[in-house]
Amino acid sequence: MATEFTAIIARNEPWQETGATEPYEAGWAREAVIYARSLKPASGAGLTARVQMSPDGIRWVDEGTVLEIPEDCETVAMARVAHFGNWLRLSADLGDGGHCCLLLTLHLKD
Amino acid sequence: MDTETLVTALRRADPRLSRFNPLSRIYSHDEFLNGFCGWSQLVGNYEDTLDSMHPGYAQHLSPMLSTLGHWDAGSHGPLNDGHALKIATRPRRGAQNVALKRQTFREAGKIRFEAYFTFKPEACELQLSEADVRSVGFLFDLQSGDTASNPERVMPHLRFLNALDGEHIQKWQFKRDTAFRPIGDGTKTVTHYHLSPENWEDLPGGEQRLCYNEIPTKVNWTYLCFDFDLASMQALSFRCNDREFDLSGFESIHIPAMKNLWCMLNVCVFAETDTDKRAFLYMDSACISGDF
Repeated sequence: MATEFTAIIARNEPWQETGATEPYEAGWAREAVIYARSLKPASGAGLTARVQMSPDGIRWVDEGTVLEIPEDCETVAMARVAHFGNWLRLSADLGDGGHCCLLLTLHLKD
Repeated sequence: MDTETLVTALRRADPRLSRFNPLSRIYSHDEFLNGFCGWSQLVGNYEDTLDSMHPGYAQHLSPMLSTLGHWDAGSHGPLNDGHALKIATRPRRGAQNVALKRQTFREAGKIRFEAYFTFKPEACELQLSEADVRSVGFLFDLQSGDTASNPERVMPHLRFLNALDGEHIQKWQFKRDTAFRPIGDGTKTVTHYHLSPENWEDLPGGEQRLCYNEIPTKVNWTYLCFDFDLASMQALSFRCNDREFDLSGFESIHIPAMKNLWCMLNVCVFAETDTDKRAFLYMDSACISGDF
């Protein structure tokens, strides 16, 4: 039976103009789904977040997947990721004055 | 051959269990080969809004399974195959993170927590960094059964104060005081940040120099064993590697029993950083056992 685990990678964290989740090690998993829900209305010129991967949890490179950060508190956004090695995080540049406050959940399965 | 001798022989014939010394019954033996074994994030209490969560708990994040992969030497790995449980702080001086396993006890007797653990700061500098991790430790969160004559909630804490304000200290401490505050309208939910920096006391004779290998990416596993009696709610013994510590000066946090936590047996492990650098606590394996 496959192992599945849900990790909370951000909970009620206000991001102002930029933000990134803490590094998460998920090398045991073959696939990941990241869900994003705004806990407070978000605004900004660039309400997107980039999935990033890393060789060491210190230096980061874009994986290529982009997630739309919901402006309202009802929409749930989602991104699928596979073949990521070990380290994952989500990083955002929200633009001048941009802000959001997210619940980000990482769903891993081997 | 009596039963105890047979059980001991069988356990010692198992290489994975042989490095533990469990009491008569094993609640759990966690090696993190195929999952998290019930170790999860300690989330803070809240009511109506997450904004009501105490900031000490709001900083907590989910634990990870790690092979201790490092930029210079690759994966260190646990004692056997598989993973170690990893508890990582944020990169902010004083930041903490906690993982816990929640259960209840079926008999108010002796319990034992054993673990193989290690700690390191994030290897983001080419320095020894031995004073970057402030502390690692563990605690039990216990409450008497609902028919106990003088029920109470009891929380024995022990932390290894590795460093404070850059000074490499290396001693075990305990805590007996905490303060409560209401959540929401204060009638149903309260919170207390029992891992706050205040009120830690030195365990008499608790100085200990642990193995801290020569660069941040070399780790060595350390053994700990803590015994506690759920009947008397008293700590019985504490061992770390080759040192058995005198607990005659130890005391737990004692607070009035809460109305919904009967027979609670929670075990928590935690890490704290002394610099603006992430601190990592790794647990290779753990065994929780009891006499019942």
